[in-house]
Amino acid sequence: MTEHTLRVNDMLQSEINSFRELERKCNVIFYYSGLFSQNIVAAMAEALKQRLAHSGNKAATQRKVFSTFIEMAQNVIHYSADTFSDVDQQDDELRHGAVWIGESEGKFFIVCGNPVAASRAPRMRDRLNALQSMSQEEIKAAYKTQLRSENEAGSKGAGLGFLTVARDASEPIEFHFDEQPDGKTAMFYLKAKF
Amino acid sequence: MENLYIPATASEPEVDFRFDTHSLTLKGESFPENAAAFYVPVIAAVESYLAGRSDTTIQVNVTLAYFNSSSTKMLFSLFEILNNAVLSGNIVVLNWFYDEDDDTILEFGQEIADDFAALEFRPQALV
Repeated sequence: MTEHTLRVNDMLQSEINSFRELERKCNVIFYYSGLFSQNIVAAMAEALKQRLAHSGNKAATQRKVFSTFIEMAQNVIHYSADTFSDVDQQDDELRHGAVWIGESEGKFFIVCGNPVAASRAPRMRDRLNALQSMSQEEIKAAYKTQLRSENEAGSKGAGLGFLTVARDASEPIEFHFDEQPDGKTAMFYLKAKF
Repeated sequence: MENLYIPATASEPEVDFRFDTHSLTLKGESFPENAAAFYVPVIAAVESYLAGRSDTTIQVNVTLAYFNSSSTKMLFSLFEILNNAVLSGNIVVLNWFYDEDDDTILEFGQEIADDFAALEFRPQALV
């Protein structure tokens, strides 16, 4: 090997090491950042299911982690402001976002992130604040009410997404909006623990 | 009318509606990208099967291991239509299969039984 090749190899090794180090530090078992489509989500779901099946967790916990992953990932498909498809499109959507599944002290957590229009942030914040202050019984009751009500305009699901995440998480959900310098978008992050 | 069969995909359940033997089966996992696009035609088929029908015993078998929130809403619509079929003189047996370790599926079945009391709800633990 030439001296040049050795130097390139060293650099590669060091990049890999620092990436792996960060992965360990953040308890990553699964991380994806990029385009979200239904096919990509279904493929990740398959990988996650295998991982969960070998985690030694109860079937109910496995289903809750799986359910939360799907709700969050489909939220990115439908609502990320960084989109390659039309805003009102309902099929074959392609949008940008990230999902991070980790395991800390034997417990799973999922974080998802995607840009949203800054104008949507206040309403989302209100809904999420309300969910944070609700007990499990109140969340279940709100879920039942929503299940029986008409869909909201602009909703592509059933208005049940956040409620489902809050219902399945074992602790109150956490969220954060990171306002972007352009003033038009905010990065939205949502975290659930199990 | 013709039976309806849709094979399962990675994110859609198998639909096996044998209208000729009055046996309607849903099986698998349900998290399509667009739940309405998947379920509206399925529900429409059930509606035409039920139109003008009476004195029929219909077996509905549901073995869903997982359904996302938008599928939940569509399933609710389906059971509402089946409940109405009882009110027009049919018997609808809802065989609700669930994993004993997973209370969410059983709870959702009980929700349906509470709301659509005309359905003969038969929860069955999978072994």
